[in-house]
Amino acid sequence: MGFITFENVEREYKIGCEIIKAVDNISFGLSQGTLNVVLGQSGAGKTTLLNLLGGMDSPTAGKIVVNGKKISGMSEYDLTEYRRTQIGFVFQFYNLVPNLTALENVQLAEEICPEPLGAEEMLKRVGLENRINNFPSQLSGGEQQRVSIARALAKNPQIILCDEPTGALDSETGHKVLRLIRDVSKDLRKTVIIVTHNAPISEMANTVLHMRDGKIDKLQFNERPKDVEEIEW
Amino acid sequence: MVKGTLFIKSLRDIKRSKSQFISIFVMATLAVFIMTALDSIWYTVEKHSHTMYESTNLSDLWITVANPSEQQMWGIGKIEGVELVEKRFIADADTDLPGGPVLQVYALDDRSTLDQPKLEKGAIGKSAGAVLDSKFAEIYNLKIGDYISIKLNGKWLRLQINGLALISEHVFAVKNSSIITPNHSDYGFIIISTNVLESIYGQKIYNQISVKTSPDSDLASVVQKAGDFVGNNLIGITLQKDSSSVSSVNSRIQQFKTLSLVFPVLFLLVTALITQSTMVRMVENQRPQIGILKALGYSKRSILWHYTSYGVIVGVLGSIFGLLTGPNILGRILVYQLKLILASYSLKINYGNFIFVLILILICTGGVSFFACRQLLSDTPSVLLRDKPPKSGQRIILEYIPSFWQKMKFSGKLIARNIGENKGRLVMSTIGVMGCTGLIISALTVRSTLSGIGDYTYGKTFTFDHKIILNTTKTNSKYLKNLELNGIAQQMEESAIQVIFPDGSQKMEPVSITTKESPLIHLQSIDGTPVTLPDKGVLLTRKLCKERDLNIGDTISIKLTGKGYAAVPIREIAYVASGQGIYMTDTYWESLGEKFKPTALLVKWNDQPDRKLLDSDIVSDLATRESMQDSLSSSLGVVNFAVMFLIVVGASLAFVVLYNTGILNFVERIRDLATFRVLGFHHNEIRYLVLIENYISVFLGMLSGIPVGRFMSWIIASTIDERLDLLGNINLRDVVIAVVMTLFFSRIVNNIIAHKMKEIDIFEALKSVE
Repeated sequence: MGFITFENVEREYKIGCEIIKAVDNISFGLSQGTLNVVLGQSGAGKTTLLNLLGGMDSPTAGKIVVNGKKISGMSEYDLTEYRRTQIGFVFQFYNLVPNLTALENVQLAEEICPEPLGAEEMLKRVGLENRINNFPSQLSGGEQQRVSIARALAKNPQIILCDEPTGALDSETGHKVLRLIRDVSKDLRKTVIIVTHNAPISEMANTVLHMRDGKIDKLQFNERPKDVEEIEW
Repeated sequence: MVKGTLFIKSLRDIKRSKSQFISIFVMATLAVFIMTALDSIWYTVEKHSHTMYESTNLSDLWITVANPSEQQMWGIGKIEGVELVEKRFIADADTDLPGGPVLQVYALDDRSTLDQPKLEKGAIGKSAGAVLDSKFAEIYNLKIGDYISIKLNGKWLRLQINGLALISEHVFAVKNSSIITPNHSDYGFIIISTNVLESIYGQKIYNQISVKTSPDSDLASVVQKAGDFVGNNLIGITLQKDSSSVSSVNSRIQQFKTLSLVFPVLFLLVTALITQSTMVRMVENQRPQIGILKALGYSKRSILWHYTSYGVIVGVLGSIFGLLTGPNILGRILVYQLKLILASYSLKINYGNFIFVLILILICTGGVSFFACRQLLSDTPSVLLRDKPPKSGQRIILEYIPSFWQKMKFSGKLIARNIGENKGRLVMSTIGVMGCTGLIISALTVRSTLSGIGDYTYGKTFTFDHKIILNTTKTNSKYLKNLELNGIAQQMEESAIQVIFPDGSQKMEPVSITTKESPLIHLQSIDGTPVTLPDKGVLLTRKLCKERDLNIGDTISIKLTGKGYAAVPIREIAYVASGQGIYMTDTYWESLGEKFKPTALLVKWNDQPDRKLLDSDIVSDLATRESMQDSLSSSLGVVNFAVMFLIVVGASLAFVVLYNTGILNFVERIRDLATFRVLGFHHNEIRYLVLIENYISVFLGMLSGIPVGRFMSWIIASTIDERLDLLGNINLRDVVIAVVMTLFFSRIVNNIIAHKMKEIDIFEALKSVE
């Protein structure tokens, strides 16, 4: 049994009269403190998987257990509590609140958590100590993504979920962001799951889940994950 | 030109943002609904009453004279501007009908042309017979050919009904000034020929000269010259506009003119704000589409018209819907509530004002989208097709007070910044809520003040049990003074007197003469201190003084019987809620050389009423204080309706603005809110973030609604009836009720929005990144 366990998880959507299985009978386990990548083309079911794990969606069948707690079948309220205490989210388009400053965006997360890490400290950690009073519109894409990471970290979650974190960034900035995620995972022993269609990124992961048509095509374990600097795309 | 597909696109866009467009539609409808309804009421009354005045050849003024001579008639006819002079006889007569209703008798010469009846049925039938008030006939089920008996000069007269009619002087007729609403089972009119009078008085008699003037004549100078010519025999001169019915009708017209100005302004303001916020956002969201249209080669003009058409379509539809429903629903209901007797009630719509409001609404709707779109059109298609530059956060004033700002939680900061960014929206919803609270306060205040008049007049001012209207031929002051009765009595003479005011204008005003010692009439000043009748001079009611700009120390001239005018000083001013006029003591009246002839005896019994006295022949009519109070408050039925209406209007105002702000606040920030949800915010925490703005505007709106309600109460109170002196002061209870109702309405809206928020899959918003 891993830190995160999926057992025969299914998620069906009804579109018109057609039933689409976005996630189709998936089972896997991930251990704590690892960095994992979910790889697949668009439409493969990666985001659905992430949403299920992040407690933003519930499976139509199967069982999801995180940190010893069964989250499949939880009530709406409990799922929110779960997101609040266990999950940190990093989005492709950062999703910072435009009329809050960098610091305030992080405080936003800090205020609702039982054991937060300091907002200013987290911003320092992502290297933005000089820009804490800037609004998102005054920051570059990479800086915004770093705020977003700081926000995810500040909640002191067990799991950090990243949805195409480098998708909107140039290669150099993307590398910096990935290294940050890598370091965070290592230093703070956070379980990180990155969803991407960008194959080279998977080389830095401990575990890679290859997804296609809602199924896990291949579960790959890297004995020696590559350093971020070694990855090219 | 509107291209077919573009038109289909506008319809689909409208459908997609339907809740916003419904708000605009509702506001346009409400504004036009209220405006055209209130407008159609006075317009209808004005048109039909004027038609009636013209078709019945209503005189421009009446000169009341003891016995007009041929010489006086001739002299008045010679005055510049006078076209026609006739004479007639007017008196009130008892009838033999159950309940003892009174008929006002108009005796006209057979050849008379002025003040004619408007026949509904039958014929005038010269010389013999009578034409009866058709409304009165309906109530007593009297038909043509039936007989009715009236008592004039102590003699009964049996008359056959030849015709049923309306007259201009009874469009709005009340028996005396203490009655607010006409009661047709109590008071009507009958027209007879002066020939009939011969059987009673032994000859044709007259007491009034009717005068028709040319349209451009100077009425004030005609009045003055006629008064001079008639000299000492003059009793009084009444202008058409001052006559009881015409002035009541005019005050109704004025009342609705004021209302149709005050209310629509509020609605137009909110409509403008709602449309502005909706249209600007709408057009900005269509930025890439504008780029596409431009890239496709659509001309600037057709794109402009395309986006302008959104507002125009909705504005025109709303206005037309308002026009169709306003006069027909509200107008039709209210016009009957005015209790006027007109030949026709067919609703007249004031299209001029409708067009004016329509243009205002189109400026608010079409105009706003036109300018929003024109601003975008100046960019090239390539710029437009690119992503909108990200919305930048803005600092607000509060942040420059660091001690305060740093203590705020992020939610407080977020709300503060969001409000700073959407000030217009906050203003809009605040004005809407302000209107809601204001309308409810004014509705409740008018209700309280009107029901308060009864309590004030018959609880504080008058404390009698019975008001006995005396048969003046059977009694006099001395007889009444020596009357042994088991209770307290006070004699009173009520009549009307010709008055010349300091500015030279003349008018007949009601006058009440009573004893210095006043155990049953307790006059008070506006601040509640008791006022006694002055020994050397007169007392005027507050409203009369206000209308004529008079103060204590000013002097007015009053006409004495068979003599000239006497200058009398105003020594006191009293607040009288119902029944404006002049008050003086019997001794002062007699010191002017007049005789005190009581017309009424007020009595407060120690024990049981003295039946023998009440049944004696000195009593011509009898009223209890309770019955007078009931008659005064009988008009409250109309008021209850108006209160309901104003509350519904206020609620819809609050509803539309709060729904609009709430939904916009949700939809525009849905991505932020979705992020919050991902971060682990609960539903109720998000709901708070969205709805707090509504609660802020509800709070601000309620606070500012109180002075607005005060102002509207004051306007309504001062226009509602010229015989009433209403203060329109708001009281705490009404304010509390209004506040509770406003809170209740906003609670409902917020619940609806919260429900809607729950229905929407908020995480969807995160996926749809453009």
